[in-house]
Amino acid sequence: MKLKITIFSVILSLLPFPDIFAEESEFKGEITLTGVFRDINGNEAKFNEYNDSRNGAYGRLRLNYDTEKYFVDFKADDIAYDTQYYRLGGGMWGKFRADIYYNEFPHNFTFGARSFYQGIGGNYLTFPDPAPNPNIFSWNEFDYSIQRRNYGGRLGLEMLKPFYFDVSATREKRDGLYPIGVSLRNPGGPALEQLPMPIDYATTNIKVEGGYAKKPFFFSLSYFYSQFENDNNKLYFRNPAALPAFATTPDIFTLPPDNHYFKLAFKGAVKLPMNSKFSTNLAFSRAKSEADLISYYFNDAGAATPLTLSDPKFHGKIDTQNYDFVLSSNPISFLEGKIFYKHYKTSNKSDEIVTTDITSTPPAEVNDLFDYKKDTVGVELGFKLPAKFYLNTFYHYIRTKREREDISENKDDLYSVELRWNGLDFMVPKVGYERLHRRAKFEGPTDPDDIEFWVRRFDAAAKIRDTYKASIDISPIENLNFSVSYKHKKTDYENTIMGLTGEKSDLINIDGDFTVGKFVKLFGYFGYERIDSNQFQRQFTPPPPTNAGNPITGPTSSARFNWDAKQKEKEYDYGIGAEIYVIPKKLTFVLQHDYVRSNGFVDYTVFRALAPGETQDNIDLPQYDDYRQESYMIKAVYNVVKGLSLTVGYAYERFKYKDAQYEGFRYAVGAFPANNTAALTGAYAKPSYSTNIVFLGATYKF
Amino acid sequence: MGKRISLFISVLFVFLLVLITQSSVKGDSEYIGSEACKDCHGDYYKSFIKSIHNKKVIPGTPVNRDGCESCHGPGAQHAEKGGGRGVAILAFGKKVDAKAKSSKCLNCHEDSKQMAFWDMSKHRSASISCDNCHTVHSMKEKNLRAMDPELCFGCHTAIKIRANKQSRHPIKEGKTRCHDCHNPHGSFGTKMIKADGINELCYKCHAEKRGPFMWQHAPVEENCLNCHTPHGSNHLKLLTSKPPLLCQSCHDASRHPGTIYTRNQTFQGGAPSNRMYARACLNCHSNIHGSVGPAFPRGKAQVR
Repeated sequence: MKLKITIFSVILSLLPFPDIFAEESEFKGEITLTGVFRDINGNEAKFNEYNDSRNGAYGRLRLNYDTEKYFVDFKADDIAYDTQYYRLGGGMWGKFRADIYYNEFPHNFTFGARSFYQGIGGNYLTFPDPAPNPNIFSWNEFDYSIQRRNYGGRLGLEMLKPFYFDVSATREKRDGLYPIGVSLRNPGGPALEQLPMPIDYATTNIKVEGGYAKKPFFFSLSYFYSQFENDNNKLYFRNPAALPAFATTPDIFTLPPDNHYFKLAFKGAVKLPMNSKFSTNLAFSRAKSEADLISYYFNDAGAATPLTLSDPKFHGKIDTQNYDFVLSSNPISFLEGKIFYKHYKTSNKSDEIVTTDITSTPPAEVNDLFDYKKDTVGVELGFKLPAKFYLNTFYHYIRTKREREDISENKDDLYSVELRWNGLDFMVPKVGYERLHRRAKFEGPTDPDDIEFWVRRFDAAAKIRDTYKASIDISPIENLNFSVSYKHKKTDYENTIMGLTGEKSDLINIDGDFTVGKFVKLFGYFGYERIDSNQFQRQFTPPPPTNAGNPITGPTSSARFNWDAKQKEKEYDYGIGAEIYVIPKKLTFVLQHDYVRSNGFVDYTVFRALAPGETQDNIDLPQYDDYRQESYMIKAVYNVVKGLSLTVGYAYERFKYKDAQYEGFRYAVGAFPANNTAALTGAYAKPSYSTNIVFLGATYKF
Repeated sequence: MGKRISLFISVLFVFLLVLITQSSVKGDSEYIGSEACKDCHGDYYKSFIKSIHNKKVIPGTPVNRDGCESCHGPGAQHAEKGGGRGVAILAFGKKVDAKAKSSKCLNCHEDSKQMAFWDMSKHRSASISCDNCHTVHSMKEKNLRAMDPELCFGCHTAIKIRANKQSRHPIKEGKTRCHDCHNPHGSFGTKMIKADGINELCYKCHAEKRGPFMWQHAPVEENCLNCHTPHGSNHLKLLTSKPPLLCQSCHDASRHPGTIYTRNQTFQGGAPSNRMYARACLNCHSNIHGSVGPAFPRGKAQVR
């Protein structure tokens, strides 16, 4: 609140200049009031995922006051709704500009979720003795939703040109509930509780920047500070699997710890002879956190088991350094280029905590500290060729070193070439090719009987990725624009036996608009995307035999076998629309239809004898985030008199979702009492909806 | 590495050589004043006088220099030849070289933090000029031809399609905009992002994921985009794929990480498993972005 008051005070103190209304001025604005009537069937949370659409009146306001010296600008959207936005800006032309704003919007996940826990919304969840009520209709109802409220301001001084100074501050409050889950036993099992995690976050960001901008120099120094505060650092809950002796001892799920972060950055550029420039970016940042650690856990028998910690507090600290050096040049009309070097390094200086549990094997665990370093050098060259051909090429060499047990180093060669032809005024075709060749230094186990010997994690695995692109933009006449593009990407994880072995995608886009005389504007788009990926895995129980995890020599049985999964996703969407100027500048009809459809499929293959009733097909997942979203809208805009327009319209939207992992959703899987039961709350289940909306509005411009 | 350094130095040397051997050329000019333009280009003149470029209090604006000719170049020859689009004048049309057009704007606007790194912009190398996005003769916000994201979607049609997917940032609602993450005028970051690294950018809004955590998930710490795709996905949470297969593509080990979870393990299957139905792995591994939970049970596995 203090920050809010400070920002408002600063801005307001700058605005009232005595001669502000004394000069030649222009005051203009726009007021819109829209009444909305809607009827929704199905999942309102998905329909209103980032919206607050309800029956009611929506207000929108724009005000602008402009003089030779001063300007003031005010915007307001969705007044009094959960998506409301306000911005007041102003300043003196060429001297300073400032603004303050307030913005909020929801992120709705699921309405009407259920849980047997009491205390939902807080950070202590419990249930009455002796056990959770198995009757799900008696459970408490609540909504999974997060509301973001963001406010801030900015002041920029231009009066000391070529020096400049900017300061900005924002604060975001986030409140709500988010679904998390916990296994009740250690290390896991069928018992699972989905819990509503309280979100009470506040993030404050402040940035101060000063600099000098006058050719041939540019310098800036900036300081960014960010503080994240979480009102709840732990979520306490009664574990239904706890032994009666520990019924009053809460189990604990840790929530994001408070953190603060700063970044100090210098940016500079100097123009060199022959249309060249040297630019640099030097930055140092530090993130710190602090958390009180938990000194017990619930073991598989449901007993709270003490832990010995080398330090009851964890202090997290990660430093990051970034250096960029770039020399760019356009020395001759047919050649431009850039060479650069980038160094990015994180240093993890967090505490290493030794946790000891005498009942476990091994009895002690220490957290690993991950950090990494990435160096990139690159050359980019652009050639203006004869006959209006343009050739852009680049080569980047990237070396990444990381603190990781499996792949500690990558060396990437990234090549790209793109040819564009501007030979015809009405058409620009483009073709491009890019190849990434990643080599990986594998430092995992050398024993082929250890499955890690075969696993290559896709984020760092050696791979060759080829990307082909082609596009064409056509404007044969002034009122017709048309573009078609195609992209094919293929990734081969060349050394991977276990894990993701390959990916392939094809993407086609068509987009266009056509204005027919003064009466109709037509527009439309079409997109098609197909994504395929393959992964190869092994299911096994631990040794013996020693080669249980070996996919080549290991045993094959109902419990130990290789399998693969081919994921296929096909998505297409299109939109068509028209603006029909029935009476030019008086009456306009707007028609719009959009459609998105995605079909996913997982084709499993098991390399073992099939179980009774099992086939290689009936184990597949035929619905894999399948959805269809369609919407229709018709709107008429009538300009009654100059400055006043009326709008009336109707919209229909439908979303249908099917997914094998949610079909036949159940709140409880397994029989109560809950120590072997999975109790879910309904998060993300059944998101389908359909809705009809009628809207009527008036806009007055002055 | 040695060969690459040699290559780097060689290219640098060639660049410097070219710089030293070239020289720039300047032409002569004759100015006739904005009043002369008004007679034929009345509408443009009217919009110019209402624009920020006509503010006399701002040092260096066209009105304080050569008016219309500050941007369009000297008009004497154009007038002498009886006018015509692009006749002896810079008309900012489609046929005009992008760099020639942008250079007019950069004469003034390069002296600003917004345009200081335009030479590093992918838009520049793709021959996008200032007037592709900005209309000079208006008093619209930032003089943009359309608002973000419609403006960006005009060229980036694949991103427009992605933004229609079921899992997405609130782009359509106007609560997240392209320029929140990208600097269209050029930056040091990859894909012109407004940060030195991907995660630094994501943490600006998702500060709770910044940690630093005691139990880290290495691929998460290195790059959010290992698992997420920012412009839209068919899978919840902007994931590139879906648990359990997404997780299993890295985690293959004895017991449940390597176990196949098929239709049989869904709610409707014969043996429902909490590793498959609903959120699959995330049913238990909820602190997937990092945790300060106890080492036991399996702190590394982010279950508390």
